[in-house]
Amino acid sequence: MKKLINKIRFFTALYLGKCAIYLLRFTGSGGTSFPGKLAMTICPDILRELGAKYRIFMVTGTNGKTTTARIMEQILQENRIKYISNKSGANLISGLITTLISDVKLNASPTSPTALLEVDEAAFRLSSKHIHPAVLVVTNFFRDQLDRYGELYNTLNVVKEGILNNPETTLVLNGDDSLCASLGKDVPNPVVYYGMDELAVPEDNNRTMSSINNDASYCLYCKTKYEYQYYSYGHLGYFKCPNCGYERPELTANVVRIPAMTSEFSTVVISTPSGVFEANINLPGLYNIYNALSAVAFAEVLGFSHKKTIEALSSFESGFGRMESISLGENNIQVILIKNPTGFSQVLKYLSSVYNSSVICFMINDNIADGRDISWLYDVDFEPLKNMQDNVSQIYVSGTRAEDMAVRLKYAGIFTDHVSIEKDAQNMLDFALDTLKPGETLFILPTYTALLDIRKILKKRFKLKNFWQ
Amino acid sequence: MYEIKICHLYPDLLNLYGDYGNIQALVRRLEWRGINVSVHPISIGDPFLPDAYDIVFMGGGPTNEQEILHKDLLGLKKAPLIEAVENDTVFLCICGGYQLMGQYYKLSDGTELECLGAMNHWTIDHEKRMTGNLIFEIEGLKQHPDSLVVGFENHSGKTYLGDGVLPLGKVLYGKGNNGEDGYEGARYRNVYCSYSHGSLLPKNPGLTDEIITLAIKRKYKDFVSLQPLNDHIETAARENLIKRFLNTPNSPK
Repeated sequence: MKKLINKIRFFTALYLGKCAIYLLRFTGSGGTSFPGKLAMTICPDILRELGAKYRIFMVTGTNGKTTTARIMEQILQENRIKYISNKSGANLISGLITTLISDVKLNASPTSPTALLEVDEAAFRLSSKHIHPAVLVVTNFFRDQLDRYGELYNTLNVVKEGILNNPETTLVLNGDDSLCASLGKDVPNPVVYYGMDELAVPEDNNRTMSSINNDASYCLYCKTKYEYQYYSYGHLGYFKCPNCGYERPELTANVVRIPAMTSEFSTVVISTPSGVFEANINLPGLYNIYNALSAVAFAEVLGFSHKKTIEALSSFESGFGRMESISLGENNIQVILIKNPTGFSQVLKYLSSVYNSSVICFMINDNIADGRDISWLYDVDFEPLKNMQDNVSQIYVSGTRAEDMAVRLKYAGIFTDHVSIEKDAQNMLDFALDTLKPGETLFILPTYTALLDIRKILKKRFKLKNFWQ
Repeated sequence: MYEIKICHLYPDLLNLYGDYGNIQALVRRLEWRGINVSVHPISIGDPFLPDAYDIVFMGGGPTNEQEILHKDLLGLKKAPLIEAVENDTVFLCICGGYQLMGQYYKLSDGTELECLGAMNHWTIDHEKRMTGNLIFEIEGLKQHPDSLVVGFENHSGKTYLGDGVLPLGKVLYGKGNNGEDGYEGARYRNVYCSYSHGSLLPKNPGLTDEIITLAIKRKYKDFVSLQPLNDHIETAARENLIKRFLNTPNSPK
């Protein structure tokens, strides 16, 4: 009898969830989390029931989750593996459930037996009790919105707890990140590490700010200051504790050389146990090389051929607000999400590699999803922007904290006459498009909820795809 | 030519909430007035010389990092830091730095962590974190248009002030020291303490200039006053938040 009730409950949750998905899509609002929430209220066990039907690959970490998931998706596609994913970045429990509900047939059997899920760090711990991934890729740990997540070590511990619930999951970890690499210590799980060789690290690495705002300069185990053979960015690099000996682990997938880094792509030489190969990565920036590398390590775990991986790296599409481009004939608009100091600093570094002149819009909101505390703007290294300011014809600041951003730029040494405050997103875009001279690129750098705002406006104007597609 | 030396205490450990912005605000506002300024990072193992600096800054850090520096702070640096405070060196201490200047930090299990003891205040750990925007009024800044200081607080410790220590300001929005007595921060000799990060100084140039003026006057007896600067962006940022969180702009409830 109890079994029957559970079954009724499960199917009611499933069907109502499915109805909610169709209704929300029909009305054009997307709704990537409400259907999951609804289903979970009716059947609290729904994630476990659905999850058991899939082979699951997961991605978590502070930065690069969405891009990494996109590259992994492309790798699955190249290898002709049918999969479902939470493309829109709805990475909380409700989003995971919505994704699975949308995939299963009416008899609850999966349409695509593989699920690729990007998951928020705290949601990973919650989900880890219900679903057990075959592979977990962890990108990195950087300080994030402190008022939401608390201190960095809490986030690390949250992921660690989740891993303890999944001793059979293969872990794909960033070996250059002393925090991330620690997840592979003293666990029964199979582990592979990825990272960067010294020769690959760009020489011009500016250490001024990252040495000040280092998230992990002291040993996690014995609190002695690490010695670094080299840094790649932030606290990533070849670390070693002179006291207890904790050091960058041996790598399974490593970048041995970066023959080219342009404003559109990077060319890298990657070494894995099955051989060395060269590949073009379809996105610029050092941090995207790390994202690509974690996906390569994932492909290695699954035993995919290098040929397919190379195809995938050169052809994947960037995710929601992650370097999305809109071409307008003579001009180009590029939207890049910013959400924490390291990510923002890396984006500015990327902008400084762009040679043509540009107009830049910073959109800073302080809603809960953005983090209500904007002090993180002061942890961002604006030196690259300062050095390139002759190449920037105008800077706009927008969003609920537009003025704070203007203050930040002033104290970073950016000429204040270059900066216009335009709080309304629609107005900002109109002005920015008007200022744009032929050949210039318009960079829009929004925080999370500002991205939702600007994307809605851009979608109306330039007919972008719906974000859940 | 005037010259100001700033000591940044434990910059590699106490750098949690955009604290670097405070250093940047001090540096820029000195530079914009043609005053020479240098910043000296002092961390674990480095000696602190009590007479070497005009302004000492100590920020906040995660619990783990505060544990790392605890021994160093209470060992090598304790006496010279107290000497600097008693010699009227200008200090700015934020959040964790503020707590560390006091007598002790009492954990929820009753354990008392010894602090520097440079000032007579103490902190008691509290279950519920006090997180949010913070607006407070500094009495002495009344003549400036910006007697209202705007920041963001995020702390679980409740701080109480003992004899000899005055509050920095009166809370108009947010919790402040303990969410009970309506006060925020602390003043003792030339030490300024606050729970407000965000960063505190860039958006509140009135307070920044008061700190700078104090430091220059202490070193150069002939110094009269700072040359005014154009602060309209800073004022706009502050007024945006004052309007948002207090009912009428510029007049406290």
